This record gives sequence, structure tokens and C-alpha cells, in this order.
Amino acid sequence: MRRIGFSTGALARGDFRLGLEILHRHRIDVVELSALRVNELAPLSAAIPHLDLSGFTFVSIHAPSRFDIEEEARVVDQLRVLADQGFPIVVHPDMIFNPGRWQIFGDRLLIENMDKRKPIGRTVDELRGLFEALPAAQFCFDIGHARQVDPSMTEAALLVRCFQDRLAEVHMSEVNTASRHDPISKNAVNAFSAVMSSIPEDIPIILEPLIDEGQSDVATEMQRAHEVFAVVAV
Amino acid sequence: MAVPTHSSLQLDRLEALLGATWASIREAQAATIKRRSELTKSIERGSPDTSLVVFGSVAREEVTSGSDLDWILLIDGQSVPEHKEQEREIERLLLKGKFIAPGVSGVFGRMVGSQELVHNIGGEDDFNSNTTRRVLLLLESYPVGNREAYDRVRRQIVRRYLGDDRGLTHGGTDVRIPRFLLNDLTRYWRTVTVDFVYKQRADNDKKWALRNAKLRMSRKLIFAAGLAHVFFCHLDTAAEAARTALIEEKDVSLLTAYLSNELAKPPLETIAKACMELKVPKETSCAIFDSYDQFLAILNDPEKRGELEKAQTHEDLRKSAAWKEVRNVSQPFHEGLVHLFLRDNDELKQLSMTYGVF
Repeated sequence: MRRIGFSTGALARGDFRLGLEILHRHRIDVVELSALRVNELAPLSAAIPHLDLSGFTFVSIHAPSRFDIEEEARVVDQLRVLADQGFPIVVHPDMIFNPGRWQIFGDRLLIENMDKRKPIGRTVDELRGLFEALPAAQFCFDIGHARQVDPSMTEAALLVRCFQDRLAEVHMSEVNTASRHDPISKNAVNAFSAVMSSIPEDIPIILEPLIDEGQSDVATEMQRAHEVFAVVAV
Repeated sequence: MAVPTHSSLQLDRLEALLGATWASIREAQAATIKRRSELTKSIERGSPDTSLVVFGSVAREEVTSGSDLDWILLIDGQSVPEHKEQEREIERLLLKGKFIAPGVSGVFGRMVGSQELVHNIGGEDDFNSNTTRRVLLLLESYPVGNREAYDRVRRQIVRRYLGDDRGLTHGGTDVRIPRFLLNDLTRYWRTVTVDFVYKQRADNDKKWALRNAKLRMSRKLIFAAGLAHVFFCHLDTAAEAARTALIEEKDVSLLTAYLSNELAKPPLETIAKACMELKVPKETSCAIFDSYDQFLAILNDPEKRGELEKAQTHEDLRKSAAWKEVRNVSQPFHEGLVHLFLRDNDELKQLSMTYGVF
């Protein structure tokens, strides 16, 4: 049985409580708590002890995706509190200004491959150096990003092969040409299926399609995700 | 003048092994580095959805004094009106930089969307111009500046050739030759040879000798390099993991990555790799590379090139010393390739016979 859940940011932008409520309603037990904007991190950190996360089998935290180098130390300190509670921390490679600062996270640090807007962290070659600098770090594979960078899905397959031993989480959504996370299309299902079939069953799949404004709904996106694993190659 | 480029590792090794000096090849490589640098400086960086792609001698690392510049503005993404402006700007900047403009065939010197390149492989909509751009994108292209769109489209095309080739993943033997790709490369080469005669009639023999020289040498070289790439999918130890993934997992990703990387190498480097790895006799390598070196020397001599450009009639050809030189180098070059693919190495010979003919 695949472990599929959602990012709270995809369900309710900037409102992790509402995101959790929606997941409870749908009896989904896999979640990534989103603090994509730096000002969301402190409130999330303060709220976590009071959140009912008991029904979840997997909970990770998405670190802010944009902050300045001067803010790095403060963000690391805030995230460390969460990592110490056992939460895996997903981070974008372009936010790791000083890898030495992030070593304290050990294997609770999950480095995510990037979309084509970012100048680093998009491919195996671009990620390899970062993993050398942070040898204990794990890998969060964003298949939507990988497809946007290389629609032939070759880079996606290479990322999974190369960092298989580090793979700890998968992000799934359609990433459009403007790099927005959209609901998963049938084309994406077909493109994802070959690569996703090699993902071990126990790896949590976090869905990231933005559906906070009615673009789609939880049930449809869950169904699409299951279709990805149901497609059998000829 | 020995100016090795990053991409001439096997060529360097072969030259050293044979104790040869390929001065004209080295000169052409040095001229290529200079030309590429001038191009990069001339052109403003476009959006990540576009790449300026150049073909011909700049891509093959064989720039000589009279080389022209075939280019396209490759678009892989949303289509916007500004692309037309970008196309005009490239045209203007290249003219300002005194780069020799592409011919008037309409194949080059314009914007081209990725859609037809990726989707129209074969069938009625795969026009001559589309086949030409697609195959040259694989065998003989170089991105100036922003290369993201270029890399994406090339991989998509390679993926199409491999992903649609059921024999690759479901074949009954352990031999894994991408036949869809092989057939299209062969089709392109044969089309070039047929179109040569068409142009002879349509252009009233204009530039006949220069065209013929290129057909005998540089056009043949890229076809030979294409064949080598295809057969190396089976022969190359570096492709072993890719072959295993094909057979055991029905996965073409590794072979797509392998071929995309290999296709990015200049054709002389690919042929040098074949000569080195298949351990062909010295005579074969010399026949190929000494001849090609002399061919580049001819092209780099403005007087000889001019003579070839002007020669039209049988009488012109009979009198032309440059044409005689071309014939003298093209024959051993051809023989060298015949020995490489069909005589010197049993395994390559077998592959060439089994897959290259029928």
C-alpha cells in the first residue's frame, strides 16, 4: 500500500491548521507541513506541540524556499528545533548557502531537486556536489520538477538511480512552464509512471498540486496519484 | 599548431599513438574555439525557453576560413510574438559580426519550434527540412549561450527514437541496436546524396565541386559518426549499465543519457574513439585522419576553396588542381571508413552487415 499524502501548502496556502483539518477529513495520514515563506516558520514551530499529529504515520516539514544569506543562521536555528523533535526537514539546494551550517541535521535533512528556474540542484550533476558536502543528507525527489527540467524523464530516472540510497520522500504534482504546481494531468500520470514504478513502496509520496482555489480536489488528486502506480508498461 | 579542446581526448590519444601530426584539424579546432567565443560575445542571452543553435563546422569543431554559419533559434516552451524579434536580432548581430549567413534553402536562419522536431519523426509531416534539422541537431549542433532548451529538445528526440523502438526493450537477443535511430540517420544520409543531384539540376551546377567535396568528406563523416554511435550502444563498455536496464527493466533512460552525451562529441572524436577502442590497424586510422586533415587544409586555403566554389563544368573540374586534391583525399577517406566498419573488426563488421544494410 502506497503512502500518499499532501503538503498543507497545496491545500491551504499559509494555513497549516486548515490543511491538517482537510487531511483529517479525508483520513489521509501522510503530510508535509509547509513553511514555504520564511514568516510562516516561527508560527509553525510554536504551534507544533499543540497540533494533533497522532493520526499521521509520516510528518515532514518544508523549510522556507526563499530567504537571504543573512537569515540562514536564524532559519537553521528554527528548523533545528523541529528536527530535534524528529521531523525530516525538506530544503531547497539554493537556500543552503553554507553547507557546514546544515550538517547538524544529519539524515533529517532532505535535499530536493529543483525546477528549471533555479540555477542549481536541478540534475544529478548539480546535486552531487551538495551531497558530497552533506554526506548524511537524504533526498527528496520532486518528479514534477524533474519532468519540467527534462520532459524526456531521463533526468528523473537518473536522479532516482543515482540517489536511490538517500531517497526519503517524493513530491508529486504537475509543474507548468511558469513553474507553478498544478493538478496532475493524465499526461503527467503517463510520464511519471515508468519512473515511479521503481520507487520503494514505503517512501512517502507528498502531493503538491495547488488546489486551494478549487483548481481540483483532494479525492481527484489522490486518484491521479494512485493511477501513476497503476499504469503498467507494455 | 596543437590546440587540444576539451572534446578531443580520443583524437589526441590516436594522434599520439600513430605519431601523426594533424595540423589542419588542430588549426580548425583552434578556429572553432575562437569562433564560438565570438558568437557568445555577439549574442545576447535569450529566455530559458530558447536556444541559439549553430550547425556545420562550428559544431564539428572544423572551422576554416570560409566557413558559413547555419543557425536556428530553437523554441521549446510558450510561443510569444517576441521570438520573431529575437530571430531578427540574431540575424542582425550575426551580420554585424561578419558571420557568413546560411544558404537560402530556408532550413536555417529562422526560429524553429520543438514540437515538429520531437513529434514528426517519419510520416507525411516529416518534411525534408524537419528531418535535416532533427538529425543535425543530434549529429552536428552546438548551442550558443543558453543551452537549456537545446538540451531538453535533444534528449526528447533521443528518447523518441529509443522509447518508440520496441526491439530495444523487448528484443529476443542480447544485441541492442537502436534501429529506429539507425534507419533515420541512414535515411538522412541517403536524402543528402539524392538532394545533391537535385541541387545540381536546380542550381545549374553552381558550387557543384564544393558541395561534392563536402558530400565525400564532412557529410560522410557525420553519417559514419552516427553509425558508430548506434553500434557503440552494443559495443561500448560504458553503455553496459544502459544495456542491462534495457533488457532487465525495459528502461531506456540510461541509454538516452548515454547517447545524448556521446552525440554531443564532435564526429572526428567519435571516429577516433572507434579506431582506438576497436584497435583497428594503423593504416585504417591514417587513411581516415590524414585524409581528413588534408581536406581541411584545402578548405582553409581561400584560393583552393574559391576554385572549388567556381568549378561547374567538366572542363572546370578537369583543370582544377583543388578538385584533383579533393579526389585524392576522398578516396582513401572512403576506403578507411569501409575498412573500419566492414573489414577490420569482426564484431563491428557483423553489426554493419546485419543492421546497416537491410
